[in-house]
Amino acid sequence: MKLFDRTNFYYIVFSVIIYVLVGASFYLVVEHVIYQEVEQRLKVERRDFENFVRAHGVWDESCYFVENKIELASLTDTLAPVTEFKDTLLYNRYNNEYVPFREYSFVSPIGGAPYKVTIRKSLIESRTLLKSITGIMMAVLSLGLLVLFLFQRRIARRIWAPFYQTLSRAKSFDLNEGKGLTLTPEEIFEFNELNSVLNKVTDKIARDYTSLKEFTENASHEIQTPLALINSRVEELIQQKNFSDEQMRWIQDIYQSALRLSKLHQALLLLSKIEHGQFFEWETINLTTAMAEKLDEFEEIFTHKGITVQFTKTGVYQVKMHPVLADVLITNLLSNAVKHNHPQGVINIVGTDRALQVSNTGSTLTASPERLFERFKKQNQSSSSLGLGLAIVKKICDSYHLAIQYSFDKGMHTLTISSPVAGQ
Amino acid sequence: MKKNATLKVLVVEDEMGLAESIAAHLTKDGFITETVFNYESALEKISLYTYDCVVVDINLPDGIGFDIVETLKKIKASSGIIIISARHALEDKIKSLDIGSDDYLTKPFHLSELNARVKSLLRRRHFGGSNEISFQEIRVNYISRKVFVGETEVTLSKKEYDLLLYFMSNIEVALTKPAMAEHLWGDNIDSADSFDMLYSHIKNLRKKLTDKGSKDYIHSIYGIGYKFGKN
Repeated sequence: MKLFDRTNFYYIVFSVIIYVLVGASFYLVVEHVIYQEVEQRLKVERRDFENFVRAHGVWDESCYFVENKIELASLTDTLAPVTEFKDTLLYNRYNNEYVPFREYSFVSPIGGAPYKVTIRKSLIESRTLLKSITGIMMAVLSLGLLVLFLFQRRIARRIWAPFYQTLSRAKSFDLNEGKGLTLTPEEIFEFNELNSVLNKVTDKIARDYTSLKEFTENASHEIQTPLALINSRVEELIQQKNFSDEQMRWIQDIYQSALRLSKLHQALLLLSKIEHGQFFEWETINLTTAMAEKLDEFEEIFTHKGITVQFTKTGVYQVKMHPVLADVLITNLLSNAVKHNHPQGVINIVGTDRALQVSNTGSTLTASPERLFERFKKQNQSSSSLGLGLAIVKKICDSYHLAIQYSFDKGMHTLTISSPVAGQ
Repeated sequence: MKKNATLKVLVVEDEMGLAESIAAHLTKDGFITETVFNYESALEKISLYTYDCVVVDINLPDGIGFDIVETLKKIKASSGIIIISARHALEDKIKSLDIGSDDYLTKPFHLSELNARVKSLLRRRHFGGSNEISFQEIRVNYISRKVFVGETEVTLSKKEYDLLLYFMSNIEVALTKPAMAEHLWGDNIDSADSFDMLYSHIKNLRKKLTDKGSKDYIHSIYGIGYKFGKN
């Protein structure tokens, strides 16, 4: 729900409640005032009536034309209570309808006998007045509310404009540009605060990101250089002839460890680069074709290990990915399928238009399948493999929102990479 | 490889040990090698002398290797250029080749690999000279990719040819198995497999060469790898 809609919603609900309350109380107040007035006049007429009776000793009906204006009823039980004022409806013979009256009843002796006298006054004019006053009042009030509502909308739009501007700037914030947002100061204190906070935060994020990027680059450089030196010095040592077999074995160990360290370092660096989203650019990569090309490169090793490869294509699977990562992804999938295969094994690859599946024969997993994608989880701890291949695959899939699944069925390990169903 | 004696290589690398190591390795192979450790002296050297090949590190304490490449291109030097960098970034590789470098090597690299790259680069650049390299009775024409023992042609597979050329670029050098495997297949391959495959390629190459009457110049060094040479 948008901010405008939310405030308007509250505004409308509140206004309607107020409107109803004001309308009702206004009606009640006016009605009360009218009753007061009518009753006042009824009391005056009672005095006139009593004066007339006192003067003439008798009540002459004929001096009043209006029907039912004053009614007399002889009273037998003088102790019975008499309701003073009450509303009643009387039939009007001209209009053929009932008309509201206010009646005033009291007991008065006429000619020595007690009578219950009822004086009535039509309320029809007062009612009409009440209705029209209330109607006009309500109309003016609604017009006022409407104008206020429209005005408030315009004002809100004006006032919140800088906020929406800030929002759209923040949305298009690109970390890769290496600098924070440069939002302009605003007149409204809160928005000004917001902008300066956003400026500060994004600036810090950008700086942290840049320094992190620099750090990984520097770490890469600073560690690779001594490693390069170790390697080249060891290679020089290997050229010497006067080492004993044992010394040669040590040199060999140093050499291999240094190589391994350097590979490990490169793999970890790649992982952290993916994690920090340093592979921003992407292209549309045809993974099916990439796989076919990579299979050619692996041809020799398949032949060497006697592995039979079957590639079934039923569609073209395209993903948006950095080309380097796409290459790493495919290479790691295939290396994995070769590494954990047994001699004369089988690799089945299925490429559809929204998934790529690599299955290979191999012994059952010793670790739980959930831990398959963790770093340094190796089937065989002593093996020369780094144990980072699938961790990298997983990380690449995660960063491009691709799903990766492992399943094991009838001696075949299957890794499936697929795009999420559209709309999710 | 006597003819290397006339070839001059400049190594620009700030890590002195590594520079020294590279220089030693290239000198051993008959190149005249000079080493500089920073950007300023590199510029001075290239403005004063002509080199057949310049090996440049990208990160130098007082400058960037790319600028040296650009200066070389500006003065229209005919030197072949190989960039060495610790940065594995693809952008660096693309930039290096874009501004006119001939090759790009990521640290750490094997000295034998650098040696092979330098030689391959020089072969590609010396059009006027011979199209052949030879060692004893073995001749390799690297234009037609044909190999001869004496006058008899030997048919080699692509990998065997690459292997032979690598050997002939590193005469009398102990080559480690990881270095050879990386040269042939890159670093995306499991070492255990590549060593097996390397072994079978060497076996085949050795057999094909000796079958045509060549002496066996491929010597295995226990635990390390192989050496190509007379003894």
